[in-house]
Amino acid sequence: MTEIKNSNWRLRKGQIVAARQMTDLEKWFEIKLEDGDLDHEPGQFVQVEIYGVGEAPISVCSSPTKRGTFELTVRAAGRLTKYMHGLGKGDWLGIRGPFGKPFPVKLMTGNDLLFVAGGLGIAPLRSLINYVMDNRREFGKVDILLGCRTPKDMLFGDEIEQWQKRLDVNFSCTVDRTAPDWKGNVGLITSLIPGVTINPEKTFGVVVGPPIMYKFVIAELLKKDMPERQIILSLERHMKCGMGKCGHCQIDHPKNYYCCKDGPTFTYEEVKEAKRF
Amino acid sequence: MKTTDKTEHTPAGAAGARTKPKVAFFDFASCEGCQLQITNLGETLLDVLGAVDVVEFREAISEKYDGVYDVAIVEGSIGDSHAEERLKKIRERSKVLIAYGACACTGGVNGMKNGFQLDEIRQYVYGKDYKLFDSTPTRPVHEVVKVDYFVNGCPIYPPELIEVLKHALRGLPYTVPDNPVCAECKLNENVCMYERGVACLGPWTKAGCNSWCVNNGNICYGCRGEVKNPARNAAADVISKYNLKPELIAKKFEMYNKCKEGAK
Amino acid sequence: MNYHILKKDGLDGFIKKLAGQMKVCAPVAKGHGAFAFEEVSSAAEISLKYIPTILPPKKYFMPPREKMLEFDLNGDKPKDAANLEPEKLALFGVHTCDLAGIQCLNMVFSERPRDYNYLLRKENIFIIGLECNEYCDGNASCALVGNHYPNGGYDLFFTDLGDRFIVHVNTQKGEELAESQGLPKASPADLSALEKARDAKKHVFQNEIGVGPKLLPEIFARGMESKVWQELGKRCVSCGNCTNVCPTCYCFDMSDTINLDMKTGCRTRTWDSCQFETFASVAGGENFREERAHRQRHRYYRKFKYPLDKFYRSFCTGCGRCTRTCMAKISLKDTLKTLAAEYK
Repeated sequence: MTEIKNSNWRLRKGQIVAARQMTDLEKWFEIKLEDGDLDHEPGQFVQVEIYGVGEAPISVCSSPTKRGTFELTVRAAGRLTKYMHGLGKGDWLGIRGPFGKPFPVKLMTGNDLLFVAGGLGIAPLRSLINYVMDNRREFGKVDILLGCRTPKDMLFGDEIEQWQKRLDVNFSCTVDRTAPDWKGNVGLITSLIPGVTINPEKTFGVVVGPPIMYKFVIAELLKKDMPERQIILSLERHMKCGMGKCGHCQIDHPKNYYCCKDGPTFTYEEVKEAKRF
Repeated sequence: MKTTDKTEHTPAGAAGARTKPKVAFFDFASCEGCQLQITNLGETLLDVLGAVDVVEFREAISEKYDGVYDVAIVEGSIGDSHAEERLKKIRERSKVLIAYGACACTGGVNGMKNGFQLDEIRQYVYGKDYKLFDSTPTRPVHEVVKVDYFVNGCPIYPPELIEVLKHALRGLPYTVPDNPVCAECKLNENVCMYERGVACLGPWTKAGCNSWCVNNGNICYGCRGEVKNPARNAAADVISKYNLKPELIAKKFEMYNKCKEGAK
Repeated sequence: MNYHILKKDGLDGFIKKLAGQMKVCAPVAKGHGAFAFEEVSSAAEISLKYIPTILPPKKYFMPPREKMLEFDLNGDKPKDAANLEPEKLALFGVHTCDLAGIQCLNMVFSERPRDYNYLLRKENIFIIGLECNEYCDGNASCALVGNHYPNGGYDLFFTDLGDRFIVHVNTQKGEELAESQGLPKASPADLSALEKARDAKKHVFQNEIGVGPKLLPEIFARGMESKVWQELGKRCVSCGNCTNVCPTCYCFDMSDTINLDMKTGCRTRTWDSCQFETFASVAGGENFREERAHRQRHRYYRKFKYPLDKFYRSFCTGCGRCTRTCMAKISLKDTLKTLAAEYK
């Protein structure tokens, strides 16, 4: 029997050091790897294995500037994620990764940033937002637009409160359906974009949300003359292997992108010919 | 459909780590061939018995148990009101219910009853006093009570039952494969039955049996039920490619898939 | 490199001697016109004249079901290991289309991050090719993609010259085997016989769709919205036969199995198919290739468009298996002809 020591299927062992239910659907986990830092970049994802249950791709929602542990926000959507909601502090997971092309942080340096997050899209975007906060002086003006279905679906409420208080960030938020104690905007996230002033040549728009959101948000950004290659998206597909092989995450596009390897982050210029976002 | 149970994702084995989960087998209108598959498990049966405590199993043990079942494994279809009552009582006492075998999952061969007027078939079976004999159209188990897991097949494919049992013990959902049997048949490198000049229901039937029948030289009879989104148009191509009669395939489907059409 | 000769009546001795050294797999008749690569121990079991086997030799490089990782949950924290016992194996009688298929998979799995299971198996497989002097049947399209002649990918390569095989040696390992088998060197007469056989093939094998292969990328670049995909979609059974039998389809699924002790288990890789309904669906419910037409289109683009950009070669080897196995008579050659006609 040969042991394949460098097999890419081997798992790093991660222990849940903290966990918290965020909403009915989402749970937050903080994980410590036994072999050191995850060493990811904003926008990357990991494959989470629950031994004997299976694996699922989850984007890392913490910034690499936070060392020692990393964080995941998990929506109970599939078989593994539902099971994962039953786990808590002390439980072990298998981790592969980080995988995927991160947000182009270096290219963004010295530019204004406009973040647009819809629903669970805030999770991968948070890795970048917190990175930017921790390196704030490297960037110009920062606008964050957040949309959720209802006020109680909002993730990272405490942190968002901090963002709202900061003088170096402009934060706006909207909900699709209001609730009695909600004083903010009501409407689709696209309604927030016209109100933002941007210097198109010097701004990167980073958009993360459900597939349906992209078309409309991109149209708004293009209206503001934002160059196609400065509109950054993070696309959702079922990334099963993370290595550009299993085929599940391939995007119907002339360039044959594998979402796990060539993405999940893309510029709009790269993927505008895709059949679907 | 009434259910008192809401334990869909509660692991059946979680209740007591020290005591083994209590598993009971029941049968309704069926040939009990699926139970026979369990007794035929051989060595694997010992592993199963190491993991669970079988408290009722008519074909193998005579004891009766009056507590709560962690897992009830139900064979057979429901064809009279006594069966319906009995099944509901079993459901009330069970944390998790597994329907196993074609009769329980789709109505199976018993579904053919529904191709007749009920009184006509009662008369045929019971003679002139047929009204004395209780009989209802054939229903699969999930049309009477909530079912947590399905193990299709006539008989069940034993490795799949073991898989489902493990899922039930851990509270994990099990997805019945929804690809045609061909998907597995090809991996087993069988010579296609159509190449042998025989019509086979593999292209429309749910996989999950590892093409058990074809591996052993038989056709697929469709016992696991039709896939959710079968290729209706393709039947014409298949029939013309292999020079077969269209009725041939339709007739073969009646054996296991009649119940789906509903009672007359 | 050089050529040896094996007399046909010496083939049985050759196979038997080889089988004494390692497991030998070769095409075997399965009845009803079907063949499969199976273990053999003598030449009598082998079908030298065969149409492509039900499954291509990829099954030896990437088994339909393969254990990728074993885990153990006894103890404080989980343990896992990737173990493999690669089998020493000789494949005999591999046609040039299938040699091309293996070359395609080699490219895919040696690309980083590498698949060491595949690579380890590959290192232990000795490949003996066998030339087709005529078409296997009318479903093949090997001439279109230039796979009717050998283009490497083997250790030894046999060409039938009537009463003898001329054996091309392509690797040092091949040379060692030829010498250990005591195969005499080919004579100039043998070499000119080979040349004649190859020449004759020029007339036998003709571009099967009447359109130059150089045009294919352009045809596909423009064919995304062709009506042909809807037609294919109406007929497709979604059985996955076409991808399972394809020598260059390598999509897979991963799943976990736990043993009844609930403590030990493994992760298994299983061949998957882009033709299955849920292949491109995500946990939230979105399905990115819901229609059969789009799934069929995807299959063709993964043969004739995407790999040409990425690996500079067609991933259709021309073996014709997908056409032969299709329950609904979807023909690769007809699809290509339709696309080519629309292009003009």
